[in-house]
Amino acid sequence: MKRKISTLVILVFWGVALSQNKQILYGFSEIPQSLLLNPGGKIKNKGYFGIPLLSHVHFDAGITGTTLYNIFADNNTDFNTKLRHAVYGMNSNDLISFNQQLEIFSAGFAFGKRYEKNEYLSFGLYEELDIINYFPKDYAVLALEGNRNNINRVFDASDINTSAEVISVFHVGYNKKVNDRFTYGVRGKIYSSIINVNSTKNKGRFVTVRGNDNIYDHIFDLDLELRTSGIASFINDENSEFSNDIKALRKRVLFGGNLGLGFDVGFTYHMTDQWTFDASLLDIGFISHTKDIENYAVQGKYTFEGINPIFTESGSGQTADEYWSEIEEDFEDLFTVDTTTTKFTTWRPVKLNASLNYAFGKKLEEDCNCVQNDEGYLNAVGLQLFGINRPKLPQLALTAYYYRRLFKGLRIKGTYTIDSYSFNNVGLGISAHIGRVNFYFMADNFLDYKNIYNADGVSLQLGFNYIFNKNED
Amino acid sequence: MNYKTFKRLYFQILLVFIATSCTKPVDFEQAKDFEITPVIESSLIFFDEPANQFLDNGSEIRVVQDFVLVSFFDDEFIVDNLIKAEFLFEVENSIHRNFELQIDLFDDSNQLQHTFTVSAQASSEGDFIETFEGTKLQALKSTTAIVFTLRMLPGVPINQDTLGNIQLQSSAVFYFKIGDTQ
Repeated sequence: MKRKISTLVILVFWGVALSQNKQILYGFSEIPQSLLLNPGGKIKNKGYFGIPLLSHVHFDAGITGTTLYNIFADNNTDFNTKLRHAVYGMNSNDLISFNQQLEIFSAGFAFGKRYEKNEYLSFGLYEELDIINYFPKDYAVLALEGNRNNINRVFDASDINTSAEVISVFHVGYNKKVNDRFTYGVRGKIYSSIINVNSTKNKGRFVTVRGNDNIYDHIFDLDLELRTSGIASFINDENSEFSNDIKALRKRVLFGGNLGLGFDVGFTYHMTDQWTFDASLLDIGFISHTKDIENYAVQGKYTFEGINPIFTESGSGQTADEYWSEIEEDFEDLFTVDTTTTKFTTWRPVKLNASLNYAFGKKLEEDCNCVQNDEGYLNAVGLQLFGINRPKLPQLALTAYYYRRLFKGLRIKGTYTIDSYSFNNVGLGISAHIGRVNFYFMADNFLDYKNIYNADGVSLQLGFNYIFNKNED
Repeated sequence: MNYKTFKRLYFQILLVFIATSCTKPVDFEQAKDFEITPVIESSLIFFDEPANQFLDNGSEIRVVQDFVLVSFFDDEFIVDNLIKAEFLFEVENSIHRNFELQIDLFDDSNQLQHTFTVSAQASSEGDFIETFEGTKLQALKSTTAIVFTLRMLPGVPINQDTLGNIQLQSSAVFYFKIGDTQ
């Protein structure tokens, strides 16, 4: 039990967080999954299907304010000293995030007039796990120090801010190349929430101030709520068969969970032969949680100033113990957890991508033993902006990249990204086409791999697709 | 190229990736040393009464007594993690009589565990600290009832016109040591 407390504390302190920035994949138009980052992106194939369960595997973990190495380094510094150092070095906007996606299936095909198939339909199903946990600084300081050295300090109850969810997303996207300059696309999404836990709208405070009747007044003003969906049925069910739970979960993946709707939009605009601007907005949508809900709330205001045990309110005839019992009840009421099954709606984290690109370096004639299947430039450089709406503050990231076609069927992209996690995030991605099979692999924060525990964030994407190239007819 | 070749390529890349990422020594076992030492201070008891409160139909009330039942000090969390406690009393007595407040701590079976007395000299101010460590701390941790006895000690008689107040404020300071290693 004791062990559990410390594990829990450490989890609460360092919950896990994410950035969800796929800066290497964005704009990498040889990879069909780049359409999920911009439904109006360029398309370089006439059809594809993803190798089931292997077409897009994505992990992303990030931490701000400290690193695992700062806390767990095997050195001569006392663990609690390192822990304190980390706690005092962080603020309540620091976070830990984790994001994982697995594409279950996906496919796409071009259609339109026979000689110029300028429309494209793509669809698929993927699973996504998303956890974000802000550092509850005031709670941590209260736990470390207590209130004695913090008289008059307001401990902010809203410092608890966490959310975790597992969803499956079924999507259908439409892309149209209007002319040589302009391409747009939209993607509709049906979300099925498998599990959701969130506590993001907490309010209130705790403060100890100098009192009138007694030395201190302790003021509690709490309005805390944790909302869950998809969990109660597992916690409360009688069955101990794990396989039954798996069956129930599998059902939810296929529209059996709490459902929601959303969409993505995006476009690509060729300003000149060499300059391109594109942008997208993703996951504008909501999930309506109506099934399997259990919410927990702590609400109330109370000021405690101690008790007057000898001279209880004159004339009331109340004994000291009755009076004390009343105070105990008030405290119990304050901290009683109310359980409700009120329906709630969660909004998906909206993501923004935009990039400005410059292509250069014409292929030489003799260099080109391949089919002429795109604009003919070997290099591209550009700037990309990424933003995501998070429970407390939006997160932004700015990326500069260099893209190069090495030889037939092999493309690489190197990125340098500045974001709230780090200022030295170098990423690299490759996409290989061998015959009709496409394989891609990308990872960032390469500089941190020399000590992965000291990383502010790592992200990884890989996948296999089977592609029907253009110019094959 | 067939799928097999691809699988090989995939695992080769994965291997390179894993091989080039390395770590400096970390020790997650350190978490078992986790320990925090918060100090919580809370208001305790108080009163503020004029001299004539100690009169009943003209005769002096020499002793006022009452008790509370508390399920706080013998709580498992307190028993496990409290390493020291202090009760701080601030007394202001502007009545021309000496007072004393006796505090008796009783356990579940009504056995007296500990007793102490806060004195308030006539027309004076004073502080008093009762520290709970060692056996006294154990006594506190088995306390389930507290009896308060306020005595007005013999002296110049008081009447309806006697001036002054007896005022007491107090707080408790709890020193915790919370961690896996006890």
